[in-house]
Amino acid sequence: MMLPRGRDPVIVQNMTGRYGRLHTKLMLDYGTNVAAGAAPGKGGESVEGVPVYDTVAEAVAKTKARASVCFVPAEFTLAAGVEALEAGIELLVIITEHVPIRDELKLVQLAQSKGATIIGPNCPGIIVPSEKVKLGIMPAPSFSPGNVALYSRSGTLTYEIAGELTANGHGQSVAVGIGGDPINGSTPIQWMDFVQGMEETEAVVVVGEIGGDAEERLARHIEKSGYRKPIVGYIAGRHAPKEKKMGHAGAIIYGDYGTADSKIRALTAAGVKVAKTPMDVPRLVSEALG
Amino acid sequence: MRLYEYQAKSLFKEYGLSVPKSILVHDLEGVRGAFASLAPPVAVKSQVLAGGRGKAGGIALVDDPSKAEHEAARIFALPIGGEKPASLLLEEGYPHEREMYLSVTLDRGERSYVAIAAAAGGVEVESMRGKVIRKVPVEGIDAGFAAEVASELKLPPGESSQFVKVLLSLERLAREKECELAEINPLAVGKDGTLMPLDAKVIVDDNALFRHPEFAKLHPEDEFEGEASRQGFAFVRLDGGIAVVGNGAGLVLSTLDLVGDAGGEPACFLDLGGGAQQDRVEAAIRLVNRLPGADRILVNIYGGITRSTDVAAGIRAVISGGGLKPLYARVSGAEEEEARRMLEGTAVKMYKTAPEAVAAVVKGA
Repeated sequence: MMLPRGRDPVIVQNMTGRYGRLHTKLMLDYGTNVAAGAAPGKGGESVEGVPVYDTVAEAVAKTKARASVCFVPAEFTLAAGVEALEAGIELLVIITEHVPIRDELKLVQLAQSKGATIIGPNCPGIIVPSEKVKLGIMPAPSFSPGNVALYSRSGTLTYEIAGELTANGHGQSVAVGIGGDPINGSTPIQWMDFVQGMEETEAVVVVGEIGGDAEERLARHIEKSGYRKPIVGYIAGRHAPKEKKMGHAGAIIYGDYGTADSKIRALTAAGVKVAKTPMDVPRLVSEALG
Repeated sequence: MRLYEYQAKSLFKEYGLSVPKSILVHDLEGVRGAFASLAPPVAVKSQVLAGGRGKAGGIALVDDPSKAEHEAARIFALPIGGEKPASLLLEEGYPHEREMYLSVTLDRGERSYVAIAAAAGGVEVESMRGKVIRKVPVEGIDAGFAAEVASELKLPPGESSQFVKVLLSLERLAREKECELAEINPLAVGKDGTLMPLDAKVIVDDNALFRHPEFAKLHPEDEFEGEASRQGFAFVRLDGGIAVVGNGAGLVLSTLDLVGDAGGEPACFLDLGGGAQQDRVEAAIRLVNRLPGADRILVNIYGGITRSTDVAAGIRAVISGGGLKPLYARVSGAEEEEARRMLEGTAVKMYKTAPEAVAAVVKGA
């Protein structure tokens, strides 16, 4: 795991696409050092004054970037991810939605073998407000520097909760959208352990949703590892029907597997204060921080 | 995408797995003829996607044609999980001694496919005793892998060699067709020791469908779900009266919870996607405005990088077309006040927070 820091050079894959262009500008506006773009066949072009190369390897060679933000469409995400990891990218943020599960598994394996970190796919990325750096698509005004680490399986809901925290005086040390797919490049447990070691983090907010058992696993991990920082949780989907994909590929209940109740029970039993609504999160954070 | 049993079984056959002889019927007229060409007893099986079909009365075993017709009529009329079958599968019964369980499925927590097998199946996987779970490499398994599972299950030699073939075929199917789940429950063991899959459950990874055009024509589309998916919206139809529209899956899910907690019942879940451009908002509201059963619309949009005024313009475009159902909106983000002014004097009610908008739409105030 690594956090992006202030002036670290970052590349953008598929920078010349509609979203690549838009978010290259927004990342630059925020303060991210977007140093190069990669897009096959677009070498020699530029976006917002940032040079574009045909391959990630060239972009890395020119900029020494260790991080990449990937806006490549789902059909080609596996190839783009392999290209980035083979070129030495250590932090790969995949924004793309609808990546096939088997492609995600292959990327996760490759990243593990190289000691690299993937965030996503199907995620808003990562933001470190105190460093004025974001690798992703989140709206900057919702976030502010502070001591609460926030990570979440969703996008806009994260912005909403970050906005509520910000409005109530709780800035964020880091906010990560880990992704709404069944397979996450990095898991809640990995982020939990990572922020435990972050000095500037004094409380953690975990935003989950129906589907899978990531929150139940996290709850067991919290208990077993004797987690030391206060944790506030929120789980979306208490009223969701079963057997239906609710927007995210990973947000689906099968039988009793993946229900919000199961997650809320597990987290509560592990000592996490679980908010009933997103608006309730800041109050619980205030209480947790005493 | 979940396949119907008959679709999954035809996939099984394609992969060399034997299944009992069966005939699919689409109406009562076809039942007698189908029954005549099968050896009784015959199972009449509802073709629905919902689980718990047997418990709900969706399967009947019959041994004469008039009983077959009688049960078929009953099952055609029986909704299971809100879904009435468009077809029934008439299938030869398979007398057996024992039932096993076998599946290849995604273990999300382990971030791996796994094979799950149990020598005594027929019940729910969670409560199955003595089950064997093994990680399946993304590139596939070999006969040695399958033989190890068989030996862990302590199968007698005759069953073991068949089991190896079944597992190899099922894993190849799951891998090549990119399934989230390929399940045989039960895998029956006949009196002569022959293994026979009696039910088949297959869920294909929706995101991999672009590599599998063979699945594109399998499902009859619900009119609204079809249109929503063409427009790129995530859409789920629900039973209540409040159409819920928002941007981002988590945000819309949490809005459903707010509505449910306030005593309201959602008519649908519609996720525009992360952005909320004017034309997308307009198309989404037009779609849910036509949804039968929906008498009110709730819009919850977190602007983020989208300007609230774009959302307001989208709503105004629908108003100008006429016939808009009562609409309650919470739109946050840049130019919020300006957006509010744009909708002043219209029938649209604007709120500053999601809980306020939800309280109002549930009350119908």
